[in-house]
Order: sequence, then structure tokens, then C-alpha cells
Amino acid sequence: MSAPTVVLQLDNLTRHRAGRPAVADLSLRLDAGQVLGLLGVNGAGKSTTLAMIAGALIPDSGRIQLNGQDFIEHPELARRGIGWLPERAPLWPELTVSEHLDAHGRLRGLAGKALTQARQNIVERLELGALARRLAGVLSQGQRQRLGLACALLHQPALLVLDEPANALDPVQVSALRSVIREQAAQGTAIILSTHLLAEVTAACDRVAILHEGRLRYDAPIGDGGHKALEQTFFDIAMRGDGSNDRMQAA
Amino acid sequence: MSVLAVTRLELRRLFVRPLAWVLAALTLAQLAWRFVLLLGGFLAGQIKLAALPGGPGYTDLVGVPMLSSILTGGILPFGVAELALVIVPLLTMSTLAGERSNGTLPLWFAAGLPASRIVLGKYLALMLWLVLWLALALAMPLSLAHGVTLDWGKLAAAALGLLLTLAALAAIGVASSAYASHASIAATVALTLGLVLAGVNIAAQKAGATSDAFNWLSLSGHLETLLRGLVSTADIAWFLLVIVVALALATQRLAAERERG
Repeated sequence: MSAPTVVLQLDNLTRHRAGRPAVADLSLRLDAGQVLGLLGVNGAGKSTTLAMIAGALIPDSGRIQLNGQDFIEHPELARRGIGWLPERAPLWPELTVSEHLDAHGRLRGLAGKALTQARQNIVERLELGALARRLAGVLSQGQRQRLGLACALLHQPALLVLDEPANALDPVQVSALRSVIREQAAQGTAIILSTHLLAEVTAACDRVAILHEGRLRYDAPIGDGGHKALEQTFFDIAMRGDGSNDRMQAA
Repeated sequence: MSVLAVTRLELRRLFVRPLAWVLAALTLAQLAWRFVLLLGGFLAGQIKLAALPGGPGYTDLVGVPMLSSILTGGILPFGVAELALVIVPLLTMSTLAGERSNGTLPLWFAAGLPASRIVLGKYLALMLWLVLWLALALAMPLSLAHGVTLDWGKLAAAALGLLLTLAALAAIGVASSAYASHASIAATVALTLGLVLAGVNIAAQKAGATSDAFNWLSLSGHLETLLRGLVSTADIAWFLLVIVVALALATQRLAAERERG
């Protein structure tokens, strides 16, 4: 059996905010087709980590490699290789859904027939057809999130970075989102997903990493203990900062 | 390619926002009013002017004054240059400050675009809009070109002066937008800088200061030479210097923002 392809490799990633480390010495590896759930309380450093991985924020030190290439030195790699949905899908209110997809496609290097094809595929897949001519400024929160996801997936990135993607979605939309994540992972996309919801992690992810005060405190596959064991570990880390891989594995 | 993608997106956003259309409609209506007044004056004085050997013609009395009131005196109704001092800050205010308050700025960074390409792409989109606006303003005096004798060289020099003025004001607007947290602050700063640059020589004269430095700093001094039909490298270099410095500052600010987060 061949070794899995490493899509994302973080080495000793550090980033300070307001004089204190928002992310400290973070090292992680993510393989193709793997879905990693990033857990942590508010201020644990999840969004900062994801913004660095997405290329929107430059780390103070450390290295980020995408498909074996350092993309801090070559930010253009992020252009085609990464899809990012930030916590609140940032949209231009004066543009329509269709115009957003075109704009994102062009910014990510798609053009002509490839862009048209990619737009048609994603519109169909995320059922955005009825919204295509609607202005982003009048979309509901759930629709905005769906459009944000479509923009992130449009160019078929090798790495998909999702920051709290289930925010403001109703249970049906959450279920649809899980399906999209699973389908995307099955196609070989590496996915990193930040959330507050433990159930979201156990339902959609293969692996979980827990950040606390900017440091990686836990990183393991979702085990047989499932939701209960994960919950216990999470609370141990969040409340007392003493969770460990051993405790989870024992559970 | 990525600069063009930014330009295309920015141009689209500019054209779907009502502000750009309202500004275009109001300013062109005002310029049409100026054109009618200038043309009326030219027609009324035509017999006297014909008697003057080498007297001012259609270009001096209608064509160039459409572009600016610097040479003719009397401000109202405004020429293109005077209107530009107001409308360029309004057009440029959201360029980067609007993205910042909208939360969309990180999207540009995440697309792997260097700050310079983002700034350049957005600047080019603004310039395309402004060139179109200038062309529509110029179309008014040019519409009578077949019936009058136009001094094409003088009009071309004046148009070049206006183009450079628009380019300098747009660059200052983009830089203000890069530094300001809100679009309204960006507009205020750009307007103030534009007015200071335009009037620094006059203000200095009134204050009794006669240094050449004030004349060199003044935008209107450099524009005036071009409006008179004189194209000098020194004036063009001044405009280019302002454009390059302003765009470099905007780029530097944006790059720092990406690092600072």
C-alpha cells in the first residue's frame, strides 16, 4: 500500500497578537482525503491558524507547506491549491451570486470554458441555481454561507479550509454540508474544519486536533470512544488544560 | 493576469454601485451647463473676436475652459478639474477602506495576490472609469469640431493635463483608502490632500510666501502649463512622481496589514 499524500504540513507555526502568542509552535500534518476537526474554546487560536493556512495572514515564524512546497515564500500556490471559507462568509453585497463565483474563479486562475464549467458544476452541486441572479447583500445567513462554500470549492482545491462552516445553518443545511464535506474528502481533498460543535467533529471528521491558548494539546484519530470520550478530553483541556492523547486513547 | 482579474472585479463593482452613476450623471449635467454657457459667450463675442488678429478661438474659449477654470477665472459652474477634486475622493474612498469594513480584504490576500497587484488592479479600474468620464466631457466641445477651427495640439495637451490630474488624484484617493479604517475618513483625507495640493501656491502667495517650492508643490501650477498647450517633461514627471509615491504607500500599507493581521 502506498503512503498517503501529504497535502498540508505545518512546522512550528507561531503567530503573536497584541503581544501574546495567538498560535504557538504548532505542527500538524494533513493527508489527502483526510478531514481534520480543529476544536478549541473562543480565543484558542483556531481562526488565526486557519487564516495562516489560507494565506490571509503571515506567520511570525514556522513553515507551511502545501503539497511539499513552502507557500509563505510562494503565496501564488495558495491561489489554485486552497479554498477558504472564513467564519462569516465575506461577500461583496453589490454583486450577484453568479458574479461572485466568476470573480472568485478568475482570482483563482480559472478562465473561459474552465470557469463556466466550474461555475455550472458548483451551482448544481450546492443548489444555487435559484439564487444565481440574487445580490449577495440580500441573501440569508445560510445562503451566504452556502455561497461562501461554493466560492471555496469552485476551483477544486487540494486543501479546503472551513472556519465554523455550520454557523447559522439549520439542521437540514448542516446535514447537506456534511455530505459535501464527505464527498469532497472522497475525491481526495484534504479538509480542515474548525468548529465549536463536538457533534460536528464526530460526524464529519476522521481526526481531531484540540487547540488551547494557541498550543496544540491533542491530535488523534476519532476513536471508538466517539463523542463521549472526545467531550471528556475537550472539557479536560478547556477547563484545566490537562487533556492528553493518553486519556482519550484509554477512553 | 491577476491584475486584470482584480481590475475586472473592481470595475464591475464600480459600475453596479449607484454612486458611480449618480456622480457621472450630476457632473456631466453640470459640465453640459458649463459648455452651453461657454458656447453662448463664444458666439456672442464672435464678431469682435474675428476682428482681432491672433485672438482666442473656440479652443481657448470653449474647449480648454471645459476642462478647467484655472485659465478663465470664475469658478462656477465647475470645469472637469474642479469637479475631479470632489468626485475622485468619492469614487476611491471604498477601494480598500470599504473592503476592510466589509471584511473582504482577507479574500484578496488568500487569493495569493501580492499587495502591489491588488492596488494596481483597483487603480486601473478607477482609471478606466475616469477616462470614460473625461472622454464624455471632452465629447461636448469635440461635437462641434466639424464646424469650428480647433487647435488640436492645445486641446490634446490640456486633455493630457486633465488625464494626469485624474491619475494623481486617483492615486492619492487609493492611498487614503489604504490607510483609513472607514470609507468616509478616506474620502475626507483624499479631498483635503487634493485641495491642499491644488491651492498650496495660492495660499502661500496670500500668506506672503513667495518660495518656488510652493509653486513646484502645487498641482494647479503644473496643470496650468499643460492647459496653455505647453507639454513639459518637468510637469509630467511631477504627476508621475505623485502617482508612484501614492501607489507605493498604498501597497506598503496593504502588505503591512497582511503581515500584521
